[in-house]
Amino acid sequence: MEKPQLIIDGKRLDGREMEDLRPVKITAHVLNDANGSAYVEWGKNKILAGVYGPRECIPRHDQSLIRAVVRARYNMAPFCSLEEHGRSGPSRRSVELSKVISEVFENVIISEAYPKTQIQIFIEVLQSDGGTRCAAVTAAAVALADAGIPMRDLVCAVAVGKADGQLVLDCSKEEDNYGESDMPVAIAPRNGEILLFQMDGLLTRDEIDTGLTMVQRAAEKISAMQAAALQQVYERKTAPKLEM
Amino acid sequence: MSNIIVPGQMVADKPLKMGYAYVENGKTYATVMSLLTDDHKLIPLCGPYEPLAGDGIVGFVSEIKFSGYSINIRTPAAAYLSSRDCRDKLALGDVLAATIRLVDEVKSLELEDAKILRDGTLVQIGPAKIPRVIGKKNSMINIIKEKTGCEIYAGRNGYAWVSSQGNSDLAIRTLRKIEHEAHISGLTNRVSDFLASAGKQ
Repeated sequence: MEKPQLIIDGKRLDGREMEDLRPVKITAHVLNDANGSAYVEWGKNKILAGVYGPRECIPRHDQSLIRAVVRARYNMAPFCSLEEHGRSGPSRRSVELSKVISEVFENVIISEAYPKTQIQIFIEVLQSDGGTRCAAVTAAAVALADAGIPMRDLVCAVAVGKADGQLVLDCSKEEDNYGESDMPVAIAPRNGEILLFQMDGLLTRDEIDTGLTMVQRAAEKISAMQAAALQQVYERKTAPKLEM
Repeated sequence: MSNIIVPGQMVADKPLKMGYAYVENGKTYATVMSLLTDDHKLIPLCGPYEPLAGDGIVGFVSEIKFSGYSINIRTPAAAYLSSRDCRDKLALGDVLAATIRLVDEVKSLELEDAKILRDGTLVQIGPAKIPRVIGKKNSMINIIKEKTGCEIYAGRNGYAWVSSQGNSDLAIRTLRKIEHEAHISGLTNRVSDFLASAGKQ
């Protein structure tokens, strides 16, 4: 397919400015039988995260005597998109994302308190539209906090990309597929520590610096939404019904 | 602004030694969802059970071993009860109240003072809510026992046992209510009202 024009009259395809997020909706504590859970709608992305643990680490040769093992499993539902990653089961892509998301949370969870255990994070992408790994990290952080697992910070993530020569925050699927570059970043908003940093395509050093300041500004908004979602659990009393 | 603290939120701009928090660069940050009290303590709202020696717990027999029993107390690994520390002969699935004798550095647990609990119901309650179920000097649990006529054991690990004598259905509903409303003040009055109105029906 021919590359469409991504920026028309200074606006992006969905009418956003360069530094606007898509509409984000976060709900915490949606699953009754998980220790913690969260559901995130981020533009057209729909992501469900569930946290189980700390519980017995199986297989036992993976367990550590000094800390809990953090395991994330990112999975795209077979019906989540029209394209090739619509097949079920683990793929090259989901194995990679599971690994990088596990490493994000290994760095913030205070895992020394739970030796010989594992903390499992299950992330199901129900509908995807670009930027699912960022939405997944955001959802998993809320689910972990909902499970009461001690963490140094509430992580959030957002991507910066380059479309038609301009830096754009929170790439949509079109900007990701036809743009020049896509750079997902997960940060700890308290001190700005970078926990995940990937890049497809090319950016100059200056563009990366500008992109990272855009991410820092957006992270403040996202982490405020995460905190509000968690506080809301204790303002309502029962788990809400999922509207999908 | 809500007084519910989320992980990573600053709770003091000076280093304070407090539970559920850590200090970095001379400032104190929370690690779990919690309530901040006026005297600078964090009360967690959720989270797994953290075993301590001396805790009273409720659990059930999950495995019978050569010289003792494995007891499920909702920790990642089952606790061990030596048959020397238990007068009765236990069967698989028996519910019991016991005390934690020892927690070692990899969180292996040993129990003592076991007592079998017969004819009752085991209820799961969030371990973070158990202090509210018990109340100050057992005040809350005594109200429920008195109004329902049930015998109740609330273990620190988040299992509660309710005897089938007395109005056990009302007792379990009261425990559920406490679990849902533990973070809202005026809990004792609401529980008393709830028990009184349920008693009239």
